Amino acid sequence: MAVSIDPIHQFELQPLVTLGHIGKQQLAFTQSALYMFAAVGIIALLTIVATAGRSVVPGRLQSLAETLYEFIADTVHQATGADGKRFLPLVFSLFMFVLILNLLGMIPYAFAVTSHLIVTFGLALVVILTVVIYGVAKHGTHFLGVFVPSGVPKPLLLIMVPIEIVSFLSRPISLSVRLFANILAGHIALKIFAFFVVQLLVAGAWGVLSPLPLALTIALTALEFLVAALQAYVFATLTAVYLADALHPGH
Amino acid sequence: MSGDPTGDGSGPEKAPADGDLSARLKRLETQLEGKRPKAAPSSAARTGASGGSAPLGQAMRLSTEFIAGVIAGGIIGYIVDHLFGSKPWGMIVMLMLGFVTGIYNVMRVSGFSGRKTEKDPRQES
Repeated sequence: MAVSIDPIHQFELQPLVTLGHIGKQQLAFTQSALYMFAAVGIIALLTIVATAGRSVVPGRLQSLAETLYEFIADTVHQATGADGKRFLPLVFSLFMFVLILNLLGMIPYAFAVTSHLIVTFGLALVVILTVVIYGVAKHGTHFLGVFVPSGVPKPLLLIMVPIEIVSFLSRPISLSVRLFANILAGHIALKIFAFFVVQLLVAGAWGVLSPLPLALTIALTALEFLVAALQAYVFATLTAVYLADALHPGH
Repeated sequence: MSGDPTGDGSGPEKAPADGDLSARLKRLETQLEGKRPKAAPSSAARTGASGGSAPLGQAMRLSTEFIAGVIAGGIIGYIVDHLFGSKPWGMIVMLMLGFVTGIYNVMRVSGFSGRKTEKDPRQES
């Protein structure tokens, strides 16, 4: 009767194949890596196989792939302008990767890779390093203009420049924490509310109330699907916005 | 979806006018620009591209932007203290600066600050 709840357990990494050790740290092919490979496989299937036919009137899969592509192409174009097109592959890859991982995590018993901070932080780091490296390579010291807001009186710059620098450094943090926190919190909430159903059912007469958390769980599931798609979209949009800074620093 | 940009560029009435590819591409671009507002009237409305969920995304952004500012300030303060041995002061100053940055981030995301009109609409999405 004493069923214990452990909503964190679903996020534990399980090594599938142990590769070796570095110091005390185990190196292993975890289920997280497996899901990432699966996501890449699904994306490849969706984008390569679905568009292989190249029919003028697209079928279902091709239409889906084209819609996703145009959606991101539009976002990138509007955020960065015409010369931002070279970043479209990066943004599209990130969007698809995050989207598929989020959606894979929504399958019951599946593992949500994006609920690990290190994964999302790695993705955010890719974005920020691209911004810095490309910005410096293209504009040299001009890239530092990104820290100088326009139309600010000279004395105020003394305060605004440090703020802008900290703001810039906070970008990878906000980018990664947002995605990770949303997915983590969503999955924990789902688990807890779903568990309420079980707890009420085994509590005798209280079982009458069990449809309440059940309804909430269903609603939360729908919300989580929304969040999964939304977070991928937000991630892609912000990537495009940050890349725009690399293209046109200093306004 | 409306994958007929070539059909647009080589429209029956204007196609033979210029053989120059770049000129045609430029004209195509202006035509596409003319068409685009129908899909997304302004950068503010662009957030509506993902349906009614855009405000929700905005709300999620606001909280993390603020927290990220504070965390970034704290991390920088810790590093400064570690490097220069200025034990409490780096953390104090940088945490305050991070706090300010967090509020500044939130203001920028919500489009609250009047300045930087060029940068704001993009930040807003």
